[in-house]
Amino acid sequence: MIYNEREYMQLRWSLTGISLIAWILILVRPASSSSWCCGGDCPTQLQMVMAANAPFSQIMEALFAENPPGPLIGDWALMLLAMMTPTLIQPIHHIRANSFVRQRMRLTLLFVLGYFAAWIAAGAAFVTIMLGAKVLMPGSFLPALFIGLIALIWQSSPAKQRSLNRCHHHQPLSAFGTRADRDAAEMGLNHARWCLYSCWSAMLFALLLPAGHMLAMAAVSLLAICERMAPPRTPRWQWRGFDAVWKYGSLQLRRFRRPGTASA
Amino acid sequence: MAEFVRNNAWNNSGNFANTDLLWYAKGVEAMMNRGLNDPASWWFYAAIHGEYVNPNTAWYPDPPAFPGWGFITSPPKVPTTPLPDQAALDLYWNQCQHGSWYFLPWHRGYLMSLEIQLRQDIVSQGGPDTWALPYWNYFGGTNGSQYQMPPAFASKTLPDGSANALYVEMRYGPRGDGNIFVPCPPRFPNGPVNAKAMNNDLFTGSDASTPLPGFGGPKTTFSHNGSPHGNFESNPHDLVHGYVGGAPSPTSPIYGLMADPGTAALDPIFYLHHCNIDRMWASWNANGNTNPADPDWSDGPAQQFAMPGPGGKPWYYTPGQVQDLNKLDYSYQELTTEAAEPTLALSDRLNVLGARPTPPTLKSATRATPKQTELLGASPLALTIGKTPIQTSVKLDNEIRHTAAVSFARVSDTAEALPDKAFLKLENVSGIFDATVLGVYINLPESRSAGESEKFLAGHVSLFGLRRATVKDGQHGGEGLTFILDITPFLDQLHLTKALDTDSLQVSIVPDKPLPDATEVKIGRISIYRQAF
Repeated sequence: MIYNEREYMQLRWSLTGISLIAWILILVRPASSSSWCCGGDCPTQLQMVMAANAPFSQIMEALFAENPPGPLIGDWALMLLAMMTPTLIQPIHHIRANSFVRQRMRLTLLFVLGYFAAWIAAGAAFVTIMLGAKVLMPGSFLPALFIGLIALIWQSSPAKQRSLNRCHHHQPLSAFGTRADRDAAEMGLNHARWCLYSCWSAMLFALLLPAGHMLAMAAVSLLAICERMAPPRTPRWQWRGFDAVWKYGSLQLRRFRRPGTASA
Repeated sequence: MAEFVRNNAWNNSGNFANTDLLWYAKGVEAMMNRGLNDPASWWFYAAIHGEYVNPNTAWYPDPPAFPGWGFITSPPKVPTTPLPDQAALDLYWNQCQHGSWYFLPWHRGYLMSLEIQLRQDIVSQGGPDTWALPYWNYFGGTNGSQYQMPPAFASKTLPDGSANALYVEMRYGPRGDGNIFVPCPPRFPNGPVNAKAMNNDLFTGSDASTPLPGFGGPKTTFSHNGSPHGNFESNPHDLVHGYVGGAPSPTSPIYGLMADPGTAALDPIFYLHHCNIDRMWASWNANGNTNPADPDWSDGPAQQFAMPGPGGKPWYYTPGQVQDLNKLDYSYQELTTEAAEPTLALSDRLNVLGARPTPPTLKSATRATPKQTELLGASPLALTIGKTPIQTSVKLDNEIRHTAAVSFARVSDTAEALPDKAFLKLENVSGIFDATVLGVYINLPESRSAGESEKFLAGHVSLFGLRRATVKDGQHGGEGLTFILDITPFLDQLHLTKALDTDSLQVSIVPDKPLPDATEVKIGRISIYRQAF
């Protein structure tokens, strides 16, 4: 429940602003690695080494030379900020509304740290898969198509709905001392867990695309926000995803109609 | 002039001499003769509110048991097949809006739609085309005589000897003995059911005279799990559900149909109760209180409200379309209730605190809204209520408590700066036994004289909706229910007795009856908040 509309709007606009800034940075700055944005047309050092049947150690050397871990993590974190921050409005609001004022900043940071720590750890696995695909099938759409098919099945599965439902569950929080800190961080980790279960296949699909990567990430981001807006539902096999934006759009259209008297 | 008039169910002594009730019984019978999947059936309409008949929902009991509809003791004899198609299930069923500012308008449209269907069935049986739903005004009658359920609902047969569709077996009352009444003033001066919310002057939110979350309920968007019920929804609405439904025995997990949103609308008394709720909302408006102007309210949520309409097509409606009784086709026999006194609460409070503001000052001060709402104290996590009451300590933060104490120094006749208000929040209340009413007390002494407990009472909360809110994959995401109780008088008393430097408050939670085995109620946390003006 929103106690203070002004505070809630400040939170909403702050997180939306962070997301927008992150998107702008992603779009305007050059990729730190050829793996992110190269259309796959230019043969990289890695590809040349692979073509020459070089030993494994040389392949790894080329791989990490072209894809230094530090900037990769940085790029991944920036993408998380861009894509996931708007979905954190409700849980961060829960943290702030249920803790003492002087602790809010600290507990919010702990929640965010817990959340992003889980995602960054997951990112290591995602990026490894992505790099593997680049090595084994450079420039190919096959890995993305394969994961895309899995993503479609996952998207319509009861397990996906279960994960979405858990994202809505906000646990009660200890208010005092180190327990408050622990609960905030734990809530971040838990929230990230359910987010990951919910979004993993769509994220991986977008990562594996050799072209159109940015557009796919934007679509996944929109999907995540829409799903976050929909209420919990009984898990079952059904198409789900963008119906929230459809309903919200319809609501805006209805607002332009003149209200009439009710007659059932 | 309205085409239809909804009359008091207690006209003509509330038995079948009141033809509104006689025709209601015949209309209900006609609707009960239709199939579960027929949008014109009693069962379909009940499921619109909430149901436990579709085994493919997350809240259907596993293993199958009460409150599954197949386990309801007849009458009524509730069908469990055939289910409507998925499209109809998604569009119509399980829509009830609770813990939301849509609570009142959604139920208004629901009643309007049902009334049209009933009237159609009544006219086809030779009944009057002016028939309208009666209301049960439990606050009404000479010396509060209408606190009891109209006798027509207790009779198993109609005057002609045929079965009475208004009679329900699983209706147990506050004492579990089948005597159905609402413990409310004037017959029960201390309630617990009361109409104090009628003194609120704000539909949503809070001000100096209206406690959170407002008369009509909190603002909600797409998802409203975790929101408390509005003041009027909490009392009298929720409490009436709990008391009328009741439970037959302290050892059985069974409860009355009215006690659970998934079975409540099977009981014909449900609609008389909601008719009264609707009437009181109209009265609140007639007393000069306005509904929200916010288009987020008047346009309704993105998931539109839908009721079965003419020709098999859905009737979509918005709160804005049903909010003004003067623009609808019905009115009420009697719209007046107790005169609202929104300034009285604030005036009484300031008087107790030593200030004497003038009426104009009071009037503007009543509308002051809180500048800050923040946590003041909290209990440990994970409390459990079983067969006996519990008491826990809500530890207060020293710094914030001091800030609250300082606010009392600002009390003056000009009422320019009002002292803090406070509320208590029960968070993440979960369980499966809806027919429970919890009494919440502050600093209740262990030994006390008879009747002394009342001094320490913060309020009563009904666990109507508990089971469905607890289900992990239910519409509340498993968060359970949240309750808010205004405890400003306790804060004032602590100030007046110079006891506001206390480290903690003792909160006692007392169930109205021992909980049956395996129906423990869990509370995530009890917290106290201050509102600074």
